[in-house]
Amino acid sequence: MFLNQFLFLAAILFCIGVYGVLTRKNGVLVLMSIELILNAVNINLVAFGSFNQDIAGQVFALFIIAVAAAEVGVGLAIVLLIYRNRRSIDVSEADLLQG
Amino acid sequence: MIGANLLGSSFGGVLAQIEQTPFVRPHIDWHAVAPELVLLAGGALVTVVDVIGLEKVRRIIPSLTSLVFLAAFVPVLTLWNQQGDLPRVMWDGAYVVDNYSLVLKGLFLLSGYVIVLLSTNYMLEGDYYDSEYYQLISASVLGMLVMTSARDLVSIFVAIELVSIPAYLMAAWRKRDLKSNEAGLKYMLMGVFASALLLYGMSLLYGMAASTKLTDIAAALSIGESKPIFTLAIVFTVVGFGFKVSAVPFHTWAPDTYEGAPTPLTAFLAVASKAAGFVALLNVVIIGFPGQADVVEPLMWVLAAATMTVGNLIAIRQTNIVRMLAYSGVAQAGYMLAPLAVFGDRPGQATSAVVTYLVIYAAMNLGAFAVVIIAARKTGSGEISSYGGLFNYAPGLTVAMTLFLFSLAGIPPVGGWYAKFEIFRVLTDGGSGAGVSLAIIAAVNSVFAAFYYLAILKQMWFMPAPDGDHSRISIPPSLQAALGVTVFVTIVTGSVLIGPLSDITKLADLALP
Amino acid sequence: MSDFLRDYLIVGLFGVVAFGLVATFIGLASFIRPDRPTAEKLENYESGVDPVGSGWSQSQIRYYIFALLFVMFDVEAVFIFPWATRLEAYGMFGLIEMMIFIFILALGLAYAWRKGVLRWV
Repeated sequence: MFLNQFLFLAAILFCIGVYGVLTRKNGVLVLMSIELILNAVNINLVAFGSFNQDIAGQVFALFIIAVAAAEVGVGLAIVLLIYRNRRSIDVSEADLLQG
Repeated sequence: MIGANLLGSSFGGVLAQIEQTPFVRPHIDWHAVAPELVLLAGGALVTVVDVIGLEKVRRIIPSLTSLVFLAAFVPVLTLWNQQGDLPRVMWDGAYVVDNYSLVLKGLFLLSGYVIVLLSTNYMLEGDYYDSEYYQLISASVLGMLVMTSARDLVSIFVAIELVSIPAYLMAAWRKRDLKSNEAGLKYMLMGVFASALLLYGMSLLYGMAASTKLTDIAAALSIGESKPIFTLAIVFTVVGFGFKVSAVPFHTWAPDTYEGAPTPLTAFLAVASKAAGFVALLNVVIIGFPGQADVVEPLMWVLAAATMTVGNLIAIRQTNIVRMLAYSGVAQAGYMLAPLAVFGDRPGQATSAVVTYLVIYAAMNLGAFAVVIIAARKTGSGEISSYGGLFNYAPGLTVAMTLFLFSLAGIPPVGGWYAKFEIFRVLTDGGSGAGVSLAIIAAVNSVFAAFYYLAILKQMWFMPAPDGDHSRISIPPSLQAALGVTVFVTIVTGSVLIGPLSDITKLADLALP
Repeated sequence: MSDFLRDYLIVGLFGVVAFGLVATFIGLASFIRPDRPTAEKLENYESGVDPVGSGWSQSQIRYYIFALLFVMFDVEAVFIFPWATRLEAYGMFGLIEMMIFIFILALGLAYAWRKGVLRWV
C-alpha cells in the first residue's frame, strides 16, 4: 500500500489549516481552519494505522472526532457570546487587553 | 485505484484479526484509579445536586466541591502508604500509578481545594454566580489527575483537553464583560490551535512507532540514526506543549487571558493548568524522547532561556499586579523548562527538580493570588499603586504577601530558594557547557526578577495609601483558610520540611527501569 | 514509471476526462442552440415575484443551542458504534461500561433540561 498519498493530502490540509488560522480574522473561520488541521491529523492516523496493521490509529481518530466536537461547541459558544456583546466576530477587533 | 484496493483489504485484515481474538476483560486495579473515580463520582454528584436543587442549593455547592476534593485525596494517601505495590500498571502500560503521579495528584487536588476556597466569596458576591463553575473545576482537575498517570498518547490527549475545555469556558465567565469575553476567546483560539499542532506531532509519532504507548515510541525513536521526520514530530509536539505552559514565543495569550478572566480562575490557570501542561511535557519528553535527547535538549535550552528572559523583561514594565504575576509566571515556566535542557544524562534528577518546583510554585503563586483577591475586595483595583499603605491597615496581609514575593524572588528561608537551588543543581551537576550556561542565564534572571518583586514590597510597606482610606479589610473564612494553607506550605518547604520534601520528590522520578 | 506515480497518472487522466466531457457538452450545446438574449431572460425569477431586500439577510439563531446540543450528543455516538458491533463479545462488562457512559450523557441532557435550555424562547 502507498502511504505517501495520504500523508501528502494530510500535509496539504494541515498547511491550509495553519494558513487559515494565521490569516483569517473571522472567529468562525479560524475555528473551521482548526477543524481542517484536525482532519489532517485524522487522515494521518488512519493511514498510519492501516499501513502498520494497527487498530490504535482508528481509535485515536475516534477520540479526536469526539473531542473536536466539544472544542468547537465551546468555541462557537464563546464566539456567539462576543457577537452578542459587540455585534462583530472579528478577532482583530478584540484588543481591549494588550501587552 | 490500486491504493484504494490495498487500503480496503488491509483494513479488512485488521478488523478480521480483532474479530478472531477473543475479548479479554482488562484488569482494573480499583484502588489505583480510586482518586479519579471519587472525583468523577463527586463531580457527577455536584451536578445532580445542582440539577435537583437549582437556586436552593447554591450556598452548599462550594463546600460540597471542596469536600469532594478532600475525599479524592484520601485514596492518594492510602496508595502512597502501600509503597510496596507501586508502580501499579494498568491497561497494558497505558496508565501507571507511581510515586511521581501520586505526588502530582496530591498537588492538583490540594490546588483545586485552595482554588475553590478562593472562588467561594468571589463567585457568591459577584454578578455571575453559577454552580456550573464548580462542576467545571472538578472536571478540569479530573483531567489533571488522569494526566499524571497517562503514559499513552490517546490518554494524554484526552486528559489535556479535559483540563483545557472547562478552562476556556471559565475564562469567559463574566459573560457581559467584554474583557472577560476577550480573555476566553484568545485562550480558546490559542489553546485549540495548540492542541491541533500537538495532535499533528502525535500522529507522526504514532506513524513512526505503530503504537500510541510512550514506551513503544521511545523504542522506535531510539533505533538507528535520527531521521528528519523524528525531529518534525518532536518539534510539533513540543510547540503544542509550549502553548499550554506559556513558553516564549507562545506566551502571548497568557497575560491577556489572566487579566480578563475572573481572578480565582487566573490563579487556577497560572498554577494548576500550567502544572498540568508541564506534567504532560515531562511524561512525553522523559519517557518518550530519551533516544532523541540530542534533538530535544537544544530546543528546550532555547525555549527555557527565551522564556525566562522575555518573561522577566516584560514583567518589570507592568503596572497591573495580575499582569505582572502573569509575566512572572511565564518567567517561572522558563526555570521549570531548564532541567529538560539536560534531561538526557539525568532524567530522574531533572524530573524531581521540576516536581519540586511545581509544588513550591503552586503554594507561593496561589498565595500571591489570594492576597490580590483579598486586596481587591477593598481597593477594587489591580494596579500596583493601589497597594500603597497596605501595611498600615492590613499588616498581616502585608507580611503574607512579603513571604510570597520573597519566595517568588528566591530569597531564603521561604520555599522559592530551594526550588531554584534544585534547578541550579541539575543544570550544573553534569558540568556540561549547555547546563552551566543556562544556569548563568537563570541566575542573572533571578536577580533581575527581584527588582519588580521588591517594587511591590516598597509600595506596600513604605508608600501612603493612594486614597487615604485606612479602614480594615474583612477577610472571609474561606480566604483566611486559603491564605493559611499557602503561607504554611511556602514557609515549611523552604526551611524545616526540606528533608521530607526532597525525600518525596526524589521518589517522584520518571526514570524507567 | 513507479507504481506510486502510476496511481497519480490515473487521477490525472480522470481529471482530464472529466474536464473534457464537460467542455465538449457545453461547447456542443452553445454551437447548436439559438442565441437571442433579452432583458427578461436575465431576471432571477422570470415568471415569479421580484426579490425584495439583500440576499445576505441574517436568519434567527435562537435554535443554535439545539444545534450545539445535537452536535454534542450526536458525536458521542462514535463511542457507541464500536461497542455495538461486538456486543456479544463484551458481554456484561461492556454493557455496564456503556450504561455508565450513557448515564453521564443523560446527566448532561437532564442538566440542559432543568436549566431551561430546551425551552423555545
